[in-house]
Amino acid sequence: MGEILFQIKDVKKVLLILTVLTVLQGTAIILQARWLAEAVTRLFNGETLQRILIVVFCFLAAFIIRHLIKLIMTRVIDRFAAQTTSSLKKEAVSKLFALGPRYSAKSGTGNLVTLLIDGVKQFRLYLELFLPKLTGMLFIAPLVFVYVWTLDVTSAIILSLTLPILIGFLILLGLAAKKKADKQWHTHRVLSNHFVDSLRGLETLKYLGLSGKHAGSMKEVSEKYRKSTMSTLRVAFLSSFALDFFTMLGIATVAVFLGLRLVEGEISLLPALTILILSPEFFLPVRELGNDYHATLDGQEAGRRLLDMIQTPDFKEESGAIPEWSDKDLLTVQHLSVNHDIERKALQNVSFSIKGKQKVGIIGESGSGKSTLIDVLGGFLEGSEGRIELSGQELTHLKHDEWQKQLFYIPQHPHLFHDTLANNIRFYNLDASLQEVERAAEAAGLRKVIDQLPNGLNELIGEGGRELSGGQAQRIALARAFLEDRSILLLDEPTAQLDVETEYEIKKKILPLLEDKLVFIATHRLHWMMDMDLILLLEKGKLVEVGSHEELMSRRGSYYQMVCLQVEGVS
Amino acid sequence: MEKGWILPYLKENAKLFSLVILLGIVTVFSAAFLMFTSGFLISKAATRPENLLLIYVPIVAVRTFGILRAVSRYSEKLLGHHIILKVLSHMRTRLYETIEPRILKEGARIKTGDLLGVMAEDIEYLQDVYVKTIFPSVIGIFLYAVTIGLLGSFSWAFAGLMAIYGAILVVLFPLVSLLVTRKNVAKLKSCRSSHYSTLTDGVVGMGDWLFSRHQKSFIKNVEKEDAEICKKERHRSSFFSYRNFAAQCVVAIMVLSMLVWAGNQSLDGQISHTLIAAFVLILFPLTEAFLPLSDAVSELPGYEDSLTRLKEVSLEKPSEEEHIMKSVWKNSHLRCEKVSYQTKEGQWILKNINLDLPQGTKLAIIGPSGSGKTTLLKLIKGITSPSEGRVTIDGVVTSQFKGDNLSSVLNQQPHLFNTSVLNNIRLGKPSASDEEVYEAAKSVQLHDFIVSLPEGYQTSMHEAGMRFSGGERQRIALARILLQDTPVVLLDEPTVGLDPRTEQALLSTIFRVLEKNTIVWVTHHLVGMKSMDDIAFMQDGEIVMEGKHDELLLASDRYRRLYELDTPFQIENFHVTDKMIG
Repeated sequence: MGEILFQIKDVKKVLLILTVLTVLQGTAIILQARWLAEAVTRLFNGETLQRILIVVFCFLAAFIIRHLIKLIMTRVIDRFAAQTTSSLKKEAVSKLFALGPRYSAKSGTGNLVTLLIDGVKQFRLYLELFLPKLTGMLFIAPLVFVYVWTLDVTSAIILSLTLPILIGFLILLGLAAKKKADKQWHTHRVLSNHFVDSLRGLETLKYLGLSGKHAGSMKEVSEKYRKSTMSTLRVAFLSSFALDFFTMLGIATVAVFLGLRLVEGEISLLPALTILILSPEFFLPVRELGNDYHATLDGQEAGRRLLDMIQTPDFKEESGAIPEWSDKDLLTVQHLSVNHDIERKALQNVSFSIKGKQKVGIIGESGSGKSTLIDVLGGFLEGSEGRIELSGQELTHLKHDEWQKQLFYIPQHPHLFHDTLANNIRFYNLDASLQEVERAAEAAGLRKVIDQLPNGLNELIGEGGRELSGGQAQRIALARAFLEDRSILLLDEPTAQLDVETEYEIKKKILPLLEDKLVFIATHRLHWMMDMDLILLLEKGKLVEVGSHEELMSRRGSYYQMVCLQVEGVS
Repeated sequence: MEKGWILPYLKENAKLFSLVILLGIVTVFSAAFLMFTSGFLISKAATRPENLLLIYVPIVAVRTFGILRAVSRYSEKLLGHHIILKVLSHMRTRLYETIEPRILKEGARIKTGDLLGVMAEDIEYLQDVYVKTIFPSVIGIFLYAVTIGLLGSFSWAFAGLMAIYGAILVVLFPLVSLLVTRKNVAKLKSCRSSHYSTLTDGVVGMGDWLFSRHQKSFIKNVEKEDAEICKKERHRSSFFSYRNFAAQCVVAIMVLSMLVWAGNQSLDGQISHTLIAAFVLILFPLTEAFLPLSDAVSELPGYEDSLTRLKEVSLEKPSEEEHIMKSVWKNSHLRCEKVSYQTKEGQWILKNINLDLPQGTKLAIIGPSGSGKTTLLKLIKGITSPSEGRVTIDGVVTSQFKGDNLSSVLNQQPHLFNTSVLNNIRLGKPSASDEEVYEAAKSVQLHDFIVSLPEGYQTSMHEAGMRFSGGERQRIALARILLQDTPVVLLDEPTVGLDPRTEQALLSTIFRVLEKNTIVWVTHHLVGMKSMDDIAFMQDGEIVMEGKHDELLLASDRYRRLYELDTPFQIENFHVTDKMIG
């Protein structure tokens, strides 16, 4: 149940503290029952209140100590859970950076953020609920049992017989419910998503002229969903029914047996009453565990996913000095292969070398491996085979601090941070003055945009801020590049999503930025190729042609065919 | 017309809700009387009565209450969920019906699919209002009243004292909890949402963090925010633990008072001494029913956001227009006459647009984002009506049609529903036979591919999401449009994000299968312009340039420049290279 529990730091220490507290609590519970029973018995026997005052105060003390210990336990476990999940979260975020953007894209941004926020919360809840209940079940029930045994063996036997039945039913019904849920899981999921799916697709339904009629089908599916949920719940609730039923039956049986034996004079009132007061306490830990069963399951799952993420292997950073890229430097990639999964190779045996400040176009259809190559060049990805030689140094990959600090990367959809426009531009260069930011914005053609914003450069953008178009986001990324002049530039489809006029405008702004740098542009827009010194043509992960535009045209190979396709256009 | 999202459902299902609450009360009462009768049974037995029958009744009662509690709790849970799920199902339909008429209209606040997803979650969340707040509160308060009433039949003075203690648990603590948590919840929520946006910025903008080498400061920032949230949450949970402890102290005082009262009563001979244990023991299960009230009330501030969001939607008024239904179309001559469109804020999105498209005309509209292309499409589709001028098809104003069979739309990301491929295509014409669907799929060259899938046309779209590429998804949507069979088809940048080969293949298919239809195609670049009958350039809501491809190529420098970007080697360089090679 808790195999992930023992992977957590300090869990043993906390369990030890909890154990001590639990044992104290169990003792307090027993004493409290004992003294309450004694007080009642003596009142029953006609003693006056004054004479039993001490016992009553003992009871009060035990009762309050019991709840005081509970309070302390909650504080301890809260603190532990908060510390554990905080450090887990920090580890997870650091790991995320170590794994790089490729991992986040694969896992889905939404999923990761949900895991980091809600998952961490669920896991914390799991720790808070599960740990004290675990020690409760392990120590309170046995303590109570042993004490009852010393008072009356028959009652102890009844209790000890009921508990396994209770747990047995809990497991049995839990399994049955799970089986039923598994069986229905597929339809269940489809049905439960149907509503969200319908809302998200409302625009499409409206275009199809079906949105009005769809309300009927929605009602129908919703009803179906309700029925299928109910049939699962019926079984799931049965387990809590069994829990209740056997607890109550257990207590009732203990009471009846005690009653009968009191009549026979085989037991006196004091122990009988003590046992009666204690028997609900005996079942309490198990019942509590059953009640929060689902919350603990979710939390456990979240914890497992977090730990999985933290334990995902990443590749070690390379070390050694890499000089600033100059005309003399040479980058050689030899026999590079990248496997995304077992069957498919994203890159196969790719070899090329680049000397000095060249402009390199990487061209190919979607799925040809352009982005993968850019990821390798950016140091986000490690090849499964092959090696990279950089200015005489042999490396297995380019995750290298001194390489990455020379790089500037402009993706297809640059991310705008939730901050002011000015801070977005100076993201790489936090100390840049307002004048410098303005100059960079000017160079990227942002003047018109800034003038239109009510707060100019201080306008809040990004999520929750003012929405900007794809072209404007691209210009902001450019402004960042103008502000942070680095010697190597990576561009991944910088203009493919833009309308042709914006593309034209932005290309004009990009071209001066490419001068005197090592540049890699991955794109399927052929017009860039005119400005490139070298073209790498990828086809299904293989490097099929290398050369300048003129060379490739005269070769009349794949590149030539690509150009022809564009010329012929739509038939 | 406006109605809330909680009260009306309470009224509607008043009987069933009362039944659930009744069952809840029976549950607590059984638990209480199980302890009561057990205590009595043992005390009575301790007097060693000669007649066993005297303890026979309590024995039966003990068993009955034990079983009754389990049974009533089970039924309470089942019935409660039954009603709640029914209410949820109503709420969902209602939300859908509220949103449906407003979607796509200008000024509607509901725009993105994501927000709609959030609202779907809001409804799920509202079920907690019943389970966690309403049921326990009503049950707790009812039990409080009944208990005090019953005690009153023994002694009004003592009942008054217990009523005061009880009020601390049932009224005072919940009230304090509400006040404390309300303040805390608001603060926590703003912290959480800023944390959410920080993490999103971190994950989506990871490349920038890595290359700018600021990731350490980012991690530090996450840590700081996290610590802040943790502090607030622990603040909250420590309040709860201290409150619970205080509540237990109140319980202790109640037990103490009960002991004193029952002891004195028994000494005075007012009650039998066999009842002392019963009275003391019954307190524990009863107070257990009072304690959750504080938690129930603490949940309240959490619902506010969901309720506000749902209320906002209900408040937006849809503009109703008259609709004419007409089903047979012989002629679909599309005309825009002096069409202008002004937003509610007074901004002119479209200015004096004139278009005259006889049936079968292919028109391309090009322009930067914000130039009014999409608004023009909406006017043609008849979703909104122009502020000035009119848009007609066959002489009838488009906004007067329900829009079922006049024009269809293929947009950038047509939604493919989480059902089979067959059903997805059939959405175009719900009455279509399987054969018709196959025909449509054949026309868009997808049939063979679909048949090759293990489950063929029954393949679920959700699972196939990975299997279908962007181009294939557009083809499915296109098949849908073929089944819809409308005289006018509106294309809203259907090829964005596709690579050139896929784009050209898709466009070829579109123009082949829609040869007879009138097409209005909003596009972001110039691929395929040669085969268009007319090309219109829009800028700031106006058509600034119009003509056929060849005409524009000759007449406009601007057009030529843009065309070069799309087919860079055709005009000059291609000939140059050709010469070079030849």
